[in-house]
Amino acid sequence: MRVPIAWLREFVDLPDDPQAVADRLAMLGFPVAEIERRPAITGVVCGRIRTLEKHPNADRLQVAGVDVGGERPLTIATAATNVAVGQTIAVATIGARLPALTIEPRKMRGIASEGMMCSAEELALPADWFEDGILQLDADLPVGRDIVGHFGLAEAVLDVEVTSNRADAMSMLGIARELAGALGSALRTPLAANPGSAADRPQALSVTLASPDCRRFVAQRFDGVRVTTAPAWMRIRLALAGQRPIDSLVDVSNYVMLEVGQPLHFYDADRIDLAHLEVRDARDGERLITLDGIDRTLTPRALVIADPHGARCIAGVMGGSDSEVGPTTASILLEAANFNGARVRRTATDLGLRSEASSRHEKALAPALTDLGAARAAALLVAQGATAQAPVAFGAAVEPPRPIALALHDVARILGIALAPARIAGHLEAVGCAVTLGEDRLAATPPPWRTDLHDAADLIEEVGRMEGYDAIAPVLPSVPAHAISSAEFRLENDLAYGLRALGYREIITHSLHGTRLFDATMRAGLVPSHTAVEVRNPLSEDQRFLRHALGPGVIEYLARLPQPLRVFEIGHVFALDEGTIDESNVLLFGFSAKPLDEPDWRDSHFLRLKGDAQELIRSLCGVRTEASADARNGLHPGKCAVLLHEGHEVATLGMVDPRLAKAFDAALPIYLANVYLDALPEYRLPRYVAPSRYPSTYRDLALVVALDVTAGAIEAAIARSLGERCTGVRVFDEYRGAQVGEGVKSIAVRVTLQRFDATITDDEADAAVAHVLAELRERFGAVIRE
Amino acid sequence: MNDLDRQLTELQERFGAAVAAAPSAQALDDARVAFLGRNGEVTSVRRSIGTLPPEARPAAGKRINLAVEAMERMLGDAQVRLEARAFETELAQVVDVTYPGIEPPVGTIHPVRRITEQASAYFARHGFAVVVGPEVEPDYYTFDALNIPSDHPAREGFDSFWLTDSLLLRPHTSPMQIRTMQQHRPPVAIIAPGKCYRRDAVDARHLFQFHQIEGLLVAEGVHFGHLKGMLSGLCRELFGPEQQVRFRPSFFPFTEPSAEVDTTCPRCHGHLQRCGMCGGSGWIELGGAGMVHPNVLREVEYDPDVYSGWAFGVGVERLGLTRYGVDDIRRFINSDPDFLEQLR
Repeated sequence: MRVPIAWLREFVDLPDDPQAVADRLAMLGFPVAEIERRPAITGVVCGRIRTLEKHPNADRLQVAGVDVGGERPLTIATAATNVAVGQTIAVATIGARLPALTIEPRKMRGIASEGMMCSAEELALPADWFEDGILQLDADLPVGRDIVGHFGLAEAVLDVEVTSNRADAMSMLGIARELAGALGSALRTPLAANPGSAADRPQALSVTLASPDCRRFVAQRFDGVRVTTAPAWMRIRLALAGQRPIDSLVDVSNYVMLEVGQPLHFYDADRIDLAHLEVRDARDGERLITLDGIDRTLTPRALVIADPHGARCIAGVMGGSDSEVGPTTASILLEAANFNGARVRRTATDLGLRSEASSRHEKALAPALTDLGAARAAALLVAQGATAQAPVAFGAAVEPPRPIALALHDVARILGIALAPARIAGHLEAVGCAVTLGEDRLAATPPPWRTDLHDAADLIEEVGRMEGYDAIAPVLPSVPAHAISSAEFRLENDLAYGLRALGYREIITHSLHGTRLFDATMRAGLVPSHTAVEVRNPLSEDQRFLRHALGPGVIEYLARLPQPLRVFEIGHVFALDEGTIDESNVLLFGFSAKPLDEPDWRDSHFLRLKGDAQELIRSLCGVRTEASADARNGLHPGKCAVLLHEGHEVATLGMVDPRLAKAFDAALPIYLANVYLDALPEYRLPRYVAPSRYPSTYRDLALVVALDVTAGAIEAAIARSLGERCTGVRVFDEYRGAQVGEGVKSIAVRVTLQRFDATITDDEADAAVAHVLAELRERFGAVIRE
Repeated sequence: MNDLDRQLTELQERFGAAVAAAPSAQALDDARVAFLGRNGEVTSVRRSIGTLPPEARPAAGKRINLAVEAMERMLGDAQVRLEARAFETELAQVVDVTYPGIEPPVGTIHPVRRITEQASAYFARHGFAVVVGPEVEPDYYTFDALNIPSDHPAREGFDSFWLTDSLLLRPHTSPMQIRTMQQHRPPVAIIAPGKCYRRDAVDARHLFQFHQIEGLLVAEGVHFGHLKGMLSGLCRELFGPEQQVRFRPSFFPFTEPSAEVDTTCPRCHGHLQRCGMCGGSGWIELGGAGMVHPNVLREVEYDPDVYSGWAFGVGVERLGLTRYGVDDIRRFINSDPDFLEQLR
């Protein structure tokens, strides 16, 4: 909200420095986003045009005699065309400083000009918002009056943020009231007396409140209205507050809204049925052409003000064009109403119509504000020459606020500062409460405008706010023991640091995807294995789906970069499963790498990935895992494995399907491992086994086997056959080619043998190995390579 | 001088020459084998004793032993000399220590986790647990239970991604307050880091996907001063010991009193008119905080007359901007290798 400090000064005395005002507001809970400092303007006074003649030497110039309160009128030449004798205008006298120039004596076609008549733009007001040519001031302004001071043209404008609970502060009066309370200064409230007298009893004015969502409706008729340009002081204030001046009626309603916070609506009284007005739900399909010219079809969600001919206004949001006030309007009906904020907000959102008015109606405006709003508008309209009938209020009488009880010790219990009861009471009085102080408690009756004060907690906040949060000393709490576990977070963190140790870089990618990633998957000929969760209201198409896996995002990330990279991400994935959303936390790690010069039956990248995955799980969970060939969507069918722990799948890994990689334009092969965090076993404490005191021996075997015999199967068979004498078995090489022949391969395996009770002899080792070889021959047809 | 003497003297001389000339331990050993080995020259001489008359044999044996001792001394001296020379050579090697080190595969932790972890460690030291929870939440946990009924204007501030009529991507980590308090009786002391989502247009200061750290302490006797104490400590932890913290009144439906928390600009400390980080105000926003609203405590069946507590929420990427001097918040989610490398 733009708040001209000059406007605030009408209601409260303030420090000169706008920064001081802004700081004070910030510490009251109204942060100032910006202090807009106005350009320095000096030497501009009010003048009245006494004479006006054509310039003797120039067709397009006129020479005016302008009374600025001096001994004689100033002679001023002007090219403006909107000047006339009797006008009151702003005169920049010799020596005046304007934003763009300094006024000096000068000759205009032979005539010495003693100043300049100012346009709005020359006074740093938005040129588009005011008349072309010379700015027209109000006739009652005394000549010679300093214009800059009078209109507050040089005073800063604050951009104040008002939190949604403080409907009462969405006005100049509201902000001034806060400052007055905090500074201990008097608040000069605008007159609340309505000039419409009870004697002028309006004929046949009736509003039926058919919906509980309209709590109060003040209606007031004005006759003798003339739609013209509003007075300069009002237009300038509106402009400084960021509100474009429109005409004398619209400006009054905007002015009152900005000044006291009550939005108003004016109807052309001759174009609605005043005797049969009604506030009701819109009928389904009911239509209304709103002020913006749009023909709108309404639903019963909207609240409307209607007469027997139909809806005339969408309550709190926008009026209808049929009853709009215009140049021919002579009589108007003022509406100052209080609606259910949620209802207004819903309607405004439904219609996509947010306005200054609806943004106030949406909040908890005080019902009593309707009367003040009507009174202020009436005063301004009467000043413009209208005659006011008496205001008529419909709806229940405004209920006086109820007192709130506060146990005094709760102030210290919550805020952590001990304040004397009188000080607590004083703070509450400063925000307008009526306080009755008792022995250990008090009762505070909030002022009518503070609709946000409901219970003791609200009062404690007010006390804290007025005392200032700075007054509360920071202390460290001593946290009592509790049994809440951090295990899940710790595991995730340990995984991250484990992967870091293995040389992987953590990345974060988007959880929301567009169809692009799905399209890529489809292009690769892969049918997605999950039903994606769809976002109902994405801001853009690339936020339409929740990721069902980390893979696509990581592949996209790796594909974007030309160099080989090792990365990981830990994050949630989502899938739709029979109408419910499954959410799980997963870890994905892997790398892009340059292809190696290897035979097609070997892939060291795959082995590295597998090694890293096993090591990670080993170091975190203390358990070993076994790899088993598998097939997974998105992974190369011949380079894909699951890692099992006691038969349970804890990870899948492999090379990304080259077709998928290509669909993402990846230049390098990609290898990924997916670890299911929810499936990882708890850390298992290892049991120590003391090594044998006797030396071990080993035998390297080169076995020729069929191609489908796996290294894992050979290792397992050897280990099982040797039993506890075998303290190590590990395949360390594989060879295929002419030297072993077609359809077979040679597997080299080192077997380590050791006894715990004696030194194993060569003969014993040889015998054991011979026994193993016999078994391998029988099971796999394995023969020793010659 | 008899034959034996001559023979041994000649042998010793030849052996001396051989060991002196031996360029390596191997050559030295070869000489040892050739002269002193089982089939070496000394053995041949020893065998020749048999041809001597018996009475001359002990003296000859003694004579041979003396020669062997002398030769072994020569061998030992040569070994020492050779070793010294080897060390000399090795010690003469000089490398350029400024030549780039051989880099191991370097892993990095994302700055979001770094900050989360550091904050967690700080709170853990003070007895807080770290809990995590779902990103898809029912509106009950997100709003209703947090004293934000439907149609509350404050819902405006949480422009959320909705998945169904009642499920949404959490726009803040505050649902974890409710989840934790429903699972545990007081005292409760947690922080809850995690991802959040809001329908914000992305720019240098905004992401639609970001991380928050929620904090919650509920116990008997917990007050606003404790909130100030813990958050001041957090700022010093993250930004340095000089850090100041400012609390400004604000409004959140689930806290009362509520506060916006600012910390002194770690770049300019308020001394720079046009600081790129704080805009010259000397303060940067940390997040929102306040005393848990009695309605929230009632919702989880904690007695607000007995228990009190505070909660806060801070944006992790926002902290990161300040902590690392990052110019654009989008860098946190782009995760460019250079960004990760610099902030590792």
